[in-house]
Amino acid sequence: MTGLADLSLTRAADAVASGEATSVDLLRACWANLDAVNPRVNAVIWQEREAAETAARVADAAVRDKQKLGLLHGVPMAHKDMYYQAGKLSTCGSALRKDFRPAITATVIARLAAAGAYTFAGLNMAEFAQNPTGHNKTFGNCHNPWNLPYITGGSSSGSGASVAARFNYMALGSDTGGSIRLPASACGVSGLKPTQTRVSRYGAMPLSFSHDNVGPLARTARDCARILTVIAGHDPRDPTSAREPVPSYEAAMDDDLRGLRIGVPTNVFLDGADEPVIAAMEAALLVLIARGATVSRFELPLMDAVAAYGGIVSRAEAAPIHAEWMRSDPQAYGAHISGRMYPGYAIPAAYYIEALSRRGPVLKAFAAEVFSKADVLVTPTIRTCLPTLDETDIDHGPPGTEHRFMAVSANTRPFNYLGLPAISVPCGFDPNGCPIGLQIAGRPFGEGRVLQVAGAYQADTGWHQERPPILGAVA
Amino acid sequence: MDAFETLVEATISRWHGIEPPNDPARRLASELAGTIEAFEALRGTLAFEDEPSSFEAALQATKEGAR
Repeated sequence: MTGLADLSLTRAADAVASGEATSVDLLRACWANLDAVNPRVNAVIWQEREAAETAARVADAAVRDKQKLGLLHGVPMAHKDMYYQAGKLSTCGSALRKDFRPAITATVIARLAAAGAYTFAGLNMAEFAQNPTGHNKTFGNCHNPWNLPYITGGSSSGSGASVAARFNYMALGSDTGGSIRLPASACGVSGLKPTQTRVSRYGAMPLSFSHDNVGPLARTARDCARILTVIAGHDPRDPTSAREPVPSYEAAMDDDLRGLRIGVPTNVFLDGADEPVIAAMEAALLVLIARGATVSRFELPLMDAVAAYGGIVSRAEAAPIHAEWMRSDPQAYGAHISGRMYPGYAIPAAYYIEALSRRGPVLKAFAAEVFSKADVLVTPTIRTCLPTLDETDIDHGPPGTEHRFMAVSANTRPFNYLGLPAISVPCGFDPNGCPIGLQIAGRPFGEGRVLQVAGAYQADTGWHQERPPILGAVA
Repeated sequence: MDAFETLVEATISRWHGIEPPNDPARRLASELAGTIEAFEALRGTLAFEDEPSSFEAALQATKEGAR
């Protein structure tokens, strides 16, 4: 069987389960790409190959022995390096944690393992998950596999780049302001931020406990659906996780969009948007219309409140987490990390509490107006063509670079404050050959609907199957 | 450095013992003036809340399939 690394996660898992391929085959196919391309992309920052090969052989033996197999049996994975595995390295992308080995294992890692997957590497990321670009002064910048000088998106930079470059079939990311959806968009893969509280955060490095979310980056929406089915659900070790029942998200992906109402915002999300991005979104809407959906365009309410309140929650919550290091060793951070955290210490408690106390009422008012007109919202994930790493380098760039930097996440941040589920799927390429992402957002706990729309789109398009030219003829 | 920036730096130093680590920190701290303006613009939209606010309850009230 050839092209194993090009398979989607669901196809790879099904191939192992059916005996069409072995887990060892999958692992070696991924490693072939990793060895050829990672020196230029820098998505993987540590590996445990021997343990992974052992896990693959155990998985293959289970297939031969006709044991009961999990949904992800025998699938090799690598994750953003902030998901704790007891005794294993978890750098959080920072010099301050370059030797950190936690004593606990994240619930999401345990759930993936219980479904038969295993982990073989740690992935590059923004320091402490705090940039939307992929810059990292300790482990080196992560480069976009489609065009190396361009950003990967962040903060799950290695997650997006590694899945795009066929180093793995899926990677966990985390999303506090867009950190799953941005690298998914920039790297041409699918990435799902679930509803706030949908997935346990136990054992995941904290950044902002009100806005942090755990979710997958993978090739397809169907892949994301299978992973969400495995990782979602209440966890006693994370009391903030919801008790909402977990359906089979994959089973609900029927591609039938008749009666679906799509809303396209006329304010905020297209402000300053680049023409190739708008054209890609409009073309995507035509695909969804052909599937039976209808489109209406209207102004979203309360966006000033969402921006003002959402803008301070993450900064206020990150500040105390990092206070000791900001006092004792501030130069260990990249300038763009410490520089962005610094104002968080001046945010008054009354502002922060106002932002939190208004979150519920704002969501209710937003949902009442918006979801009476539409079932999902569609926007570009990133409203401009991708910038380069140099153009967004706050540490070395001129004053004003921070505005180019922050513009990257302008379309994703609102859904973190609102807590809504949102996916990014590839929908085209910009003139520099970098992917463009389509963001689809839904109601709370409406991941099934969001995934259904994304899956229907991918049933009629091939953007998610494109492979970066850097891979060349590597299998 | 204007009076606002001086005040912000002094506040952070006094309350947290943290000094501006670099120029981007100073520039971004000066942009807190924009945060204040954004909050000022929302004044008059706040109602007195008789019930405790719960974001989790709002998620449930507005979820897929909720009526």
